[in-house]
Amino acid sequence: MDRVAQLQINLHPAAFEPLTLLSRWQHNGAAESQFIGRVRPTASDGAALLALELEHYPGMTEQQLENLAAGCCRRHGAISCLVHHRIGRVLPGEAIVLVAIGADRRGPAQRCCQELLEALKHDAPFWKRECRTDGISHWLTGNTPL
Amino acid sequence: MALHTPAPIRIRLFAALREQAGWAERDWPFNDHIPPHPQAAPPTPRDLWETLQLPGALGDVRVAINHQFAEADTALQAGDELAFLPPISGG
Repeated sequence: MDRVAQLQINLHPAAFEPLTLLSRWQHNGAAESQFIGRVRPTASDGAALLALELEHYPGMTEQQLENLAAGCCRRHGAISCLVHHRIGRVLPGEAIVLVAIGADRRGPAQRCCQELLEALKHDAPFWKRECRTDGISHWLTGNTPL
Repeated sequence: MALHTPAPIRIRLFAALREQAGWAERDWPFNDHIPPHPQAAPPTPRDLWETLQLPGALGDVRVAINHQFAEADTALQAGDELAFLPPISGG
């Protein structure tokens, strides 16, 4: 029978410290893979960035994150999964996403972490608006290349 | 005797689509007739997109019904929450 992974998924309206959250994360796997994404200091066109505004769809975003995490963990046989994602106004340098996967071996941990990160970038309803220091803002319509 | 009125369809827009349309959510009476369907046919997300004259092409957005991704030609039910989702950019 497939083992059901332990999932922890949180949305944060204020800044979080990913290393603190990782230090508190309890999991039993021998292997652990982590990804921390932070906001760049520049907008997609190279202009100075004041902030990113992150909109989400309350209810669906949480549900979709859980579905994506459960599916990835099942496919890779991962034991545990931690996802923290910002919402609201995020400043350059602040963490926007933390994904961590616990598994028995490094391969499943790393593959699951990468697959889940790509899945949440494309299939979890979040939208980013870039707010530039010159007062111009616009919604992004895609993700940066892998 | 009171007549039963079906719950409306709640329509939600997000991000750039919300700003272009000028509204975030509205209720659509479930039993409103939408051409070219006969009175009895349930509306689809495509019907409502066209009837509401939402900006841009439906092919550029994703559809969700009750927090699940869905096809644009899915028959809607009374009380459904329908969302039109512009391109996603998470993580």
